[in-house]
Amino acid sequence: MKEVNDRQLNEKESLELITNMIRNTRQRMEEGSGTMFLIWGYVTIIVTMAVWGIVSYTGNYRWQFAWFLLPILGYTIAFFYKKQRAMKPRATTYIDRVIRYIWVVLGIAGFLLSVISIMHRLPILFIIVLIMGIGITLSGLIINFRPLVISGALGMATSIVLTFLSWNIQLPAFAFIFLFMTVIPGHYLNYKARKNNV
Amino acid sequence: MFKELDPLFMSELRLAVMSILLSVEEADFVFLREKTNATAGNLSVQIEKLQQAEYIDVRKTFKGKRPQTICKITDKGIDAFEKHVEALKGYISL
Repeated sequence: MKEVNDRQLNEKESLELITNMIRNTRQRMEEGSGTMFLIWGYVTIIVTMAVWGIVSYTGNYRWQFAWFLLPILGYTIAFFYKKQRAMKPRATTYIDRVIRYIWVVLGIAGFLLSVISIMHRLPILFIIVLIMGIGITLSGLIINFRPLVISGALGMATSIVLTFLSWNIQLPAFAFIFLFMTVIPGHYLNYKARKNNV
Repeated sequence: MFKELDPLFMSELRLAVMSILLSVEEADFVFLREKTNATAGNLSVQIEKLQQAEYIDVRKTFKGKRPQTICKITDKGIDAFEKHVEALKGYISL
């Protein structure tokens, strides 16, 4: 883009400049938009498969406490990613704020339910997939990105299936749902954002 | 009769900054410089003029160890911008 300087504009030029600036600033998907989905998706898949593998191998259900690695790893990686991203030039839109609030609220709900599930019997995997599905579908609807809407809705639909599965199948199924609900759309979202901003 | 144009928006760079800030909630100085390709010195001067007119709010903060300037359009700025666009339309429709 050519340099915008201090010259005086006539009326027509003014309206053209306003239109160009608004068009240029709005709606461009930011590079790395899908990275948060990738962070939480990969961490969930790795921790789930690790818990499943260790508990199946040892037969010791105490290894289920390894689930706590999920928030620890997820929040740590997300924290450093956000910190690094904050160094880049940035504008915050209303859409960014709405999406952030949705995930904060859903994150709190997910955390509380996970804690309660330690004390009471809850179909926690079903609940987590349902919550993630809601968040992903809403995010997709807000940024108008259909693959995210579809994967989130599919996640919500398949969450019910989890309630019918036995534990040893439930965990791989849970990881698989996260693969198509977060990892695949996350990569695709990053690809589209990169392509759009070239 | 023609409505009066806002003299603050007659400058290309000030108008560009206001147009960008209208599309986002807030933007940092580097973002504005990237979008306008203006020099840092020129942009600083124009931002200060918009701030003095209370068309934008400027917040100074830190990004890690680096200083950061965040700009946000005010309600007064939005009103002035809308009036300016309305006035422009009046001239163009002639």
